[in-house]
Amino acid sequence: MIFESGQVYCKGFFPPISIMILNHMQGKKSLPIVIIVAGVVLAAGAAFLLRRSDADTPPKIEDRVVDTGAGGHLRGAPDARVTLVEYGDFQCPSCGYYFPIVESLLEGAPDLVKLEFHHFPLIQVHPNALPAALAAEAAAEQGKFWEMHDLLFQSQTAWSAKPSAEEDFVVMAQRLGLDSEKFKQSMKSDETRARVLKDVERGRAAQVEGTPSFFINGRPVHPLPQSVQAFKQIVEEGVASK
Amino acid sequence: MNLRAAATAVVAFLGMVDAMFLASSHGPVPCRLTGGCNDVLHSAYSSVGGVPLPWFGLAFYLFAFSLAVLDLTGAGRALRWLFWPALAGFLVSVGLVGIQAFVLKAFCEYCLASAGLVTTIFAISMFSRLRPIPDILQRTPSPD
Repeated sequence: MIFESGQVYCKGFFPPISIMILNHMQGKKSLPIVIIVAGVVLAAGAAFLLRRSDADTPPKIEDRVVDTGAGGHLRGAPDARVTLVEYGDFQCPSCGYYFPIVESLLEGAPDLVKLEFHHFPLIQVHPNALPAALAAEAAAEQGKFWEMHDLLFQSQTAWSAKPSAEEDFVVMAQRLGLDSEKFKQSMKSDETRARVLKDVERGRAAQVEGTPSFFINGRPVHPLPQSVQAFKQIVEEGVASK
Repeated sequence: MNLRAAATAVVAFLGMVDAMFLASSHGPVPCRLTGGCNDVLHSAYSSVGGVPLPWFGLAFYLFAFSLAVLDLTGAGRALRWLFWPALAGFLVSVGLVGIQAFVLKAFCEYCLASAGLVTTIFAISMFSRLRPIPDILQRTPSPD
């Protein structure tokens, strides 16, 4: 450091911001600090407004009723008043985000809501989505669709970036106590593939454009609620409208 | 008025807004232009050592903004310290856009915007470097 006329300088690569600030404090010039703090506060405010404008769009159940198609996997009480249909993709991060939300929704109102899951793998952007759907269907053949469904979402970040996650799915099947040879055969079978593709066809017919797509008693939910509470509210509206 | 510092301040401010928006995002973000935001933001490449990338971006933009403000308010030719960090930021941005294009095959508009902002800051910084800047030590401090 070199002291010169009461000012402090520091020669070096790293920017001597603190020293510049110190110099200014000595000269009672706190203007830069004020501007920097104001800039940060303004930026935080702008970011907050952007976030809120997005979150403020209230979730809605559309008025139209869509034929969401039969054949989905059911979870919950068969006579529950609300059927929540989900068209999902196991590799889609947003579906992974909604997994715990839907879980707690079902746990919170087991007699009120039942879930009907349909496959809608976005094969163009998610190379492991179709194999994951096939894995869930192969597990379904041994009676463990929902166990595999949960495991796939819970470990989504671990397998989704891999070039091929099929080995991971076999390990998952073993963890679930499935017959792994039978599981591998099911994953490769044409019937399993046909079941998944049939779901995709149903989704297209129901005008599913992205994942996850939710329907409450056949009515599309759009925009999607972003929290468990908001989802609960939407479901209660679904009960009221039935 | 130092135009380069003013431009850097404006671009860094926009970068702070973008980075704060991403750092504060919980759940899916709207993605009207590129469609792949959530795939990118939730990918294995979205954090380093458990720290989400937007926080690194925010640190860079705050640094650039601070230097630009110090420069503008006459606290010294602070912008000269931005070149190497901006070069590093630019190279990281090129890498991240590459990951979006070739690995994830999904684009996030907020991330592309950030890459554009870092590139702009780097371009301004490079332009500044092309012109000789007197050494800070040679400067006679103005008497207060």
